[in-house]
Amino acid sequence: MTTVLEVRDLRVVFGGVTAVDGVSFSVDDGQLLGLIGPNGAGKTTVMRSITGIVRPTSGNILLDGQRVTGLPIHRRMRRGLALSQQLVRPFREMSVIENVAFAAGYRKTGNPLKSLVTFDWTQERARATELLAMVEISSYADADTGSVPLGVLKRLEVARALALDPKVLLLDEPLAGLNSNEAVTLGDTIKRLNGDGLTVVLIEHNLGEVMRICPRLVVLDNGRKIGDGPAQEVMADPDVRAAYLGTGAGGSHAAA
Amino acid sequence: MEDLLNAYDMSLIRTAAVMVIMALSLNLITGFCGQISLGHAAFMGVGAYTSVVLSINGVDFILGTLAGMALAGILGILVGLTSLRVRHDFLAITTMGIVFLFSGIVEQSSFLGDTDGLSGYPHPAYGDFAYMVMTILLAIAVMLLSIYIRRSWMGATFKSIGDDEDTARILGIDVSLYKLAAFVMGTSLAGLAGSLYAHQTTIIQAENFGFIESITVLSMVVFGGVGSIAGVTVAAIVLTLLPLWSQFIGDYKLLFYGGLLFLMMRFAPYGLAGIVVRLQRLVFRRTGDTG
Amino acid sequence: MTELALLVQGLLDGSIYALIAVGLTLVYGLLRILHVAHAALFTLGGYVGVVVTNETGSFILALVAAMIVAGIAGMIIYRLVYQPILHLPPYVALIASIGLFIAMQEGFRFYDEQGVSYVNPPVQGTLELAGQTLQLAKIVTFFVAIILIGGLGLLAAKTRTGVAWRATVTMPAMAESFGINIIQVRYINFFIGSALAAVAGVMVSLTTNLVEPTSGDVWSYKALAIIVLGGLGSMRGTLIACFALGVLEAFATTTCVPLGNIQICLGEIMNRDAIAFAFLVIVLMIRPQGLFVRA
Repeated sequence: MTTVLEVRDLRVVFGGVTAVDGVSFSVDDGQLLGLIGPNGAGKTTVMRSITGIVRPTSGNILLDGQRVTGLPIHRRMRRGLALSQQLVRPFREMSVIENVAFAAGYRKTGNPLKSLVTFDWTQERARATELLAMVEISSYADADTGSVPLGVLKRLEVARALALDPKVLLLDEPLAGLNSNEAVTLGDTIKRLNGDGLTVVLIEHNLGEVMRICPRLVVLDNGRKIGDGPAQEVMADPDVRAAYLGTGAGGSHAAA
Repeated sequence: MEDLLNAYDMSLIRTAAVMVIMALSLNLITGFCGQISLGHAAFMGVGAYTSVVLSINGVDFILGTLAGMALAGILGILVGLTSLRVRHDFLAITTMGIVFLFSGIVEQSSFLGDTDGLSGYPHPAYGDFAYMVMTILLAIAVMLLSIYIRRSWMGATFKSIGDDEDTARILGIDVSLYKLAAFVMGTSLAGLAGSLYAHQTTIIQAENFGFIESITVLSMVVFGGVGSIAGVTVAAIVLTLLPLWSQFIGDYKLLFYGGLLFLMMRFAPYGLAGIVVRLQRLVFRRTGDTG
Repeated sequence: MTELALLVQGLLDGSIYALIAVGLTLVYGLLRILHVAHAALFTLGGYVGVVVTNETGSFILALVAAMIVAGIAGMIIYRLVYQPILHLPPYVALIASIGLFIAMQEGFRFYDEQGVSYVNPPVQGTLELAGQTLQLAKIVTFFVAIILIGGLGLLAAKTRTGVAWRATVTMPAMAESFGINIIQVRYINFFIGSALAAVAGVMVSLTTNLVEPTSGDVWSYKALAIIVLGGLGSMRGTLIACFALGVLEAFATTTCVPLGNIQICLGEIMNRDAIAFAFLVIVLMIRPQGLFVRA
């Protein structure tokens, strides 16, 4: 197994508050990793440090063995990361399929000069059609993003991220806001994508779904890693149980 | 053809053509890429002053115009660089500042004629009619360029940035580079408009390129419908000619522009283009369509 | 001219910026709108001040009338202009505000194109300080500004209503969940901010003895630059930036720096207004978040 993504001794301090305190873990090629923890545990901050929205105080992020810590967001995405955002943010002036096709055109948008002399969308539309089928929203391809339900938009976020042909797909609470039925089917889709060879890091609050689909978990609490390993073993750990079932002391003094 | 138009008509048409170029150049920045600029006239001024100073020193009109475009574009990159670093709200004020910087520096510089401006500079020897045809052709060229950009992958990328630049970044878009591209294209075209303007009039002063002029151009973009090429073109022509045609509107031009900006934003924020779209929906609405 | 005199001159001008910028910051803090039309309320205040003084002979009455008229005008602007378009993208309110500003300016032109002046200008006279002549009106302005803004600050810090008000300006969403009537706070903000701008308008009219349709323009453009410098929405940052800019302008327009054997005088390269905006651009290049930001 080769390591695709590595978080090494990550520390993030916001104005005196330590949100993430020395977290390390690595993700192997083809894994489906669930990153969980109570509210305020630092999951989102870790995710944002990986994508580059947050600048870590110290520590490193490695993608394919190369440091990406200092790189701006867009360059990390072009190195093989992709993010499906927690709050769906489709481009409103583009239809569902155009949103995906635009993302799939990343080779054409890498350089403004090249983008100025490029017009063809055939390949990207074809790829977008495939991706929409993969996340099972083909029937909404030509719909306006303002008129489709949240469940479809969540899948659109995933398809748009997949369009970047990522080495690692980061999913930030893809199930949030969905009803239990929708959550289960999207969970199945994620599991299937992983089964086809895609490496996935999943941040999720819906513990039931995480336990169902993720073979491996990393648990954060109070900005520290308190568990890492096969899902059942990790959840059997008393510290992890305490963090989840305890009085929630963790959430009160660490920033999300 | 030449006999059909008197000198006044030709000056109207030239002015309208120049304003079309101006409005479309701002539309590249504000309409396509979502970056509000309250100082676009300053770049027009840079083009105008550069080309006039060069023509006074015996440089050919075309070369002078290209130099004006280049200088306006370079200044555009500088402003663009500031805009990359600041929050959205700040950009409007920074660009407004550029206007005051421009006039503040021009009015203190003797080689730019201080507050008196520059006059009596040589004009290209094309004659009024040929000059008018040239400005019209250039305005059409800028329109075609806008359509071209809109249809290219760059146009789609601008659209994504104007809509949600954080998400564009997540999709691997180098937002800063694209914004700079929009700024350099928009400001150098404003430089072109400036040179054309300077050589169809007899005097240029810093106040021709001030805050109010910048707002006038912005009102054309807003009136036409931010981002709509056809809408902005129509708006630029109408808003240039109305005050010249109608004595009343001419006398109260600013009241008219101000009121228009205000009323459009208050009641039709998507401009002429938005009104057209709404009318289309009204006409073509099918029963049971909830859209 | 001595440094002390320049410093005093700068602080006096800074107090005028402060009177204008407080309202802009209040509006920005609550609505995230760059309230360009604020400039027109400054001018409106000036007009009311001159006209009422000339009619009644009482300057104090005129000042109060200017505050009330501008304050109510500010509330009307909120109700009729901003409130209906708050849900639209921010540029919509900005452009509407610019449009309203220009239209109001033209409205003043309808009323009196040449501008209005005091028949018997009050608070005239001068003071000598370190060889420098200072206008009495400017000194009075300074103290009026300190009293009004200081009093407001005290009110905000010490009273219950003040605390609720501050909380609302700082985090509107939070305040709403605590049951504060946020709409009411918005009206109060517009009233207070506009009334202070009117005070600035009246006080400046004393030093120039002229109010024209464009009187408020440059002051207000610079006040917009100031609230950006102050970090947008931070009252303390805004006030510091006001006085900093006043002092900077006073020094920059008169000071020359020797560079080799030539003298570089900023005042000869660009005028006063350009210096202010050059300062803004340079600061934003170095500190894109503004000079002062709330942590």
